[in-house]
Amino acid sequence: MLQIDRLSHSFKNGSEVTAVLRDISFRVHKGQMVALLGSSGSGKSTLLHLMAGLMKPTEGDILIAGHNIVSMSENRLAEFRRHHIGFIFQAYELLANLTVRENIELPLVFQSVQPSVRRKKALALLEQVGIPEKAELFPSQLSGGQQQRVSIARSLITEPSVIFADEPTGNLDTRTEEEILAILKELNKALDTTFVIVTHEREVAAQTEHILSLRDGYLITERQGFAEASLTGGPAIAIT
Amino acid sequence: MRLRDITRQSWDQVKRRKVVTALCAAGISIGCAAIIVAMSIGESAQIYIEQQMNSYLKMDEITVRANNGALADDSGGTADSDSLQQGRLTGQKLDIMRQIAHVSAAAPYLQIGHMQMTTMDNKSAQNPTELLGTDLETLASFGHSFLYGGLSDMQGTIVLSYGATLGLMDEETRDNLQKQMSGNYYDESLIRQMESLNRVPGELYQKQVRFVQYTPEGEAYSMPLRVVGVLAKPSGSTEDSIVYDKKGYISLETAEMLKKELKLDGERNGAFDTVIVKVDDQAYVEQVEKQIQKLTVTTETNLYQKERLAGEFKILKAAALGIGVFILIIASISIVVAMTMSTYQRRRQIGIMKVLGANLSQIRNLFIVEAALLGLLGGLLGVMFSYWIVWGINGLIYRLASEQDSVIIFIPLATIPVGMAFALATGIFSGIYPAVSASRTDALTAIRRD
Repeated sequence: MLQIDRLSHSFKNGSEVTAVLRDISFRVHKGQMVALLGSSGSGKSTLLHLMAGLMKPTEGDILIAGHNIVSMSENRLAEFRRHHIGFIFQAYELLANLTVRENIELPLVFQSVQPSVRRKKALALLEQVGIPEKAELFPSQLSGGQQQRVSIARSLITEPSVIFADEPTGNLDTRTEEEILAILKELNKALDTTFVIVTHEREVAAQTEHILSLRDGYLITERQGFAEASLTGGPAIAIT
Repeated sequence: MRLRDITRQSWDQVKRRKVVTALCAAGISIGCAAIIVAMSIGESAQIYIEQQMNSYLKMDEITVRANNGALADDSGGTADSDSLQQGRLTGQKLDIMRQIAHVSAAAPYLQIGHMQMTTMDNKSAQNPTELLGTDLETLASFGHSFLYGGLSDMQGTIVLSYGATLGLMDEETRDNLQKQMSGNYYDESLIRQMESLNRVPGELYQKQVRFVQYTPEGEAYSMPLRVVGVLAKPSGSTEDSIVYDKKGYISLETAEMLKKELKLDGERNGAFDTVIVKVDDQAYVEQVEKQIQKLTVTTETNLYQKERLAGEFKILKAAALGIGVFILIIASISIVVAMTMSTYQRRRQIGIMKVLGANLSQIRNLFIVEAALLGLLGGLLGVMFSYWIVWGINGLIYRLASEQDSVIIFIPLATIPVGMAFALATGIFSGIYPAVSASRTDALTAIRRD
């Protein structure tokens, strides 16, 4: 589903070149939930942005559902993102002028999907994330946890190949964090959607099947070592 | 992305960003109103002046005269009456003229001359009255209406113009006034008294009037005529001009009779002095004139006045349009600034949309439609403002103008789409730069919260 091959990225600051990611390769199979763990400056956010097609890497390939996004033009990438990538932001990033339902429908608006079809799908997803009664409210009328549920529903509406979640619980209290992680895990199982969760919190990463640890731009593979985490099947992540 | 979704989202932004919307719409509305008002004033003034000129110069009329051929150029040649038969203005030619397309009326005229008109109580006007023999039935077709009375089949009757009834006074009064005035030519009060007396209408309806003709030998011949109708004041004429419009219309039969009684020269032999042809639209005057000329007659119109006027107003209207467009250009700068600022403020939103799959053209379209909506809103406001402005101008004219039928500014319907189109175009063109700038927003930079 997601394949990263010999990915490197560096920033140029005048004559100085700073390597952020160094020769990273891994694969995530369909339906897996993977955590990308790393402290500040480890390169995890850069990796996430590269995988989401928001940046071009200095070297290497990124294949999502068999398509190499590195060589795609901006418009082609937009088209690709629209169908294959879901995104969950740390600060939810819902549009304040749209209702909850309209926010969820937004990715389908860019796909020119009929309003009745969009509406039906959005309401079904709201049901799945547990806030069906909030459909016609505006984001400002919701709590942080509820807004993140809306953000999750929005990422799922296009039935993407992979969903990238950028610190999805970063703005939430512990109780709400647990609720959101539970929802993600539940949706992962129910919909067989691939999730890549970027976090700096080991506790959050521990909730996923596999952890990819990043340190100073290098990838370190870890098996789950936490009691509450579960390992399913063999090694899903292959370091090449 | 569906047009409905683009429009809805753009309209949502227009509603949300009230200050930006108000600023942009106000700028566009002023420009749009300026265009509409300027064009309306130009158009109204042109129509008013055309109407005024038409009431004096009769630009929708063709004066047809007999064609005297080579004699007409005062070459001093002579010709026998038979050789001039071809150019005569006959009843047959009149009938043909009436059949020509776009001819709404054709009236034959016999010019009897300017004569002193005297009432039964010996009152007369200072200026003589022009006596015209015509087909009285055609008076209405030439825009005349009756203030008193109407047409009569009886011979020996006359229809007077309103001006012919003004300024009638007995000889003694006139002599007194003239005596007073002699030596006091600059006495304002006397001039005003004379003017006001010249404007007093006499009650001539159903009364007898007499026209007197003096022969070179000093013999006087006269004939009484009964006034069966008085025409209303022609529209557009002023109090001053009407005093000099002294005309008496009699039937062709009465004209023949009068000529005989007053021993006037000339035999009609079934021909007319002139025929006035009225065309239903000024646009066809030239075409009709060409067809009439085929009848070997001479024609004359005042159409060149209209062309001269149209040329002058074309310049005026172009200048007015230019002023409006200039204001719109200034307004468009405010839109560019306001929308660019709006784009900057919405960078994050644009970034999120891009992450969610919006491409360059979708973002661009959202902003262009938003700018177009601002243009539309400004245009609608501009139309509303222009009606208020025109209403205000008309109120001012009504207060200041001394004459009742002064110019009335109206908004021709055609100027509204012109104003709206300019407003819409200004919105769209002003939105292009902010829209392109918005579409080029780097999604990653926009969503970063560093």
